[in-house]
Amino acid sequence: MLKIRQLQKKKLEEAAASAAATADITGNSSTISSNNKITPAQLRLQKDITELDIPKSIKLTFPNSSDLFNFNLSITPQQGYYKLGTFQFTVEINGNFPMDPPRIKCSNKIYHPNIDLSGNVCLNILREDWSPVLNLNSVLIGLNFLFLEPNPNDPLNKDAANVLVKNKTLFAKNVRDSMRGGYVDQEYYDRIV
Amino acid sequence: MKVNIVDWHGVATWHWKLASNDGKAGYVDELCGICRVPFDGTCPNCKFPGDDCPLVLGRGCIHNFHVHCILKWLEQEASKGLCPMCRQVFVHDPEDNPHSEEFEYLQQLEDGHRLLREKGETTYEE
Repeated sequence: MLKIRQLQKKKLEEAAASAAATADITGNSSTISSNNKITPAQLRLQKDITELDIPKSIKLTFPNSSDLFNFNLSITPQQGYYKLGTFQFTVEINGNFPMDPPRIKCSNKIYHPNIDLSGNVCLNILREDWSPVLNLNSVLIGLNFLFLEPNPNDPLNKDAANVLVKNKTLFAKNVRDSMRGGYVDQEYYDRIV
Repeated sequence: MKVNIVDWHGVATWHWKLASNDGKAGYVDELCGICRVPFDGTCPNCKFPGDDCPLVLGRGCIHNFHVHCILKWLEQEASKGLCPMCRQVFVHDPEDNPHSEEFEYLQQLEDGHRLLREKGETTYEE
């Protein structure tokens, strides 16, 4: 086994052991509440949220105002193929942020080369190119960009990507049809206008 | 006039010497890119700034981080051992840094990623 894996494993075991130890302490003396402690992820996320500088087309809503780690996002592009559609996303940030990227899923079924039918989004900075110096702002701008410039070179919905490459007029029509809520190539898409 | 000094307090300030202070970089970055806390403060896991929460400078790239922050990143397999800022292979200069547990661990992680790289890209895809 590789050394780095061993290190990781060791680290995890230590973390589990210390978590168990604190659980013991809190169990014995109920006065200590370890739940109120602000985690590094929370600190960083709070900074990211206060520093957000996003176009008007992106709106954030927090269904549970005490939980910054899960929120909803809606994007209403002002130009491009997807103009004036409103696309809903859920954003899920885990306790290991900013080491792990936010997880973003589209809640609508939409026709887009980089978003598959179950809502998974293909955006490099959400996956292989994620880096902890990126913030929420860069991710939201990246996501917004996908609607202005769908990228057929790295598709999740291959059919949509092929149409975009071969016939832009047909792609534009397909997008319009799908946004109105209808069938494109025997697949039903949600109405989002 | 004669003055008798009864009592006095010395006050000192300190500041980390950052890469950008040398004039190598065109701008001064005062925040750790990973935790977004000023370098003169601590990483989010520490209480006291200074030697207990040291900084590290990449060799080859000129990016500073809290050691604890870059350690957390390099622990991720997804980091591929790269500097989060410029995506060059992250290595630090052992000469420049104190010998401590943190820097030994940093060295181990850097070596680990180098081995993974030498074994080929496939190791990263699971």
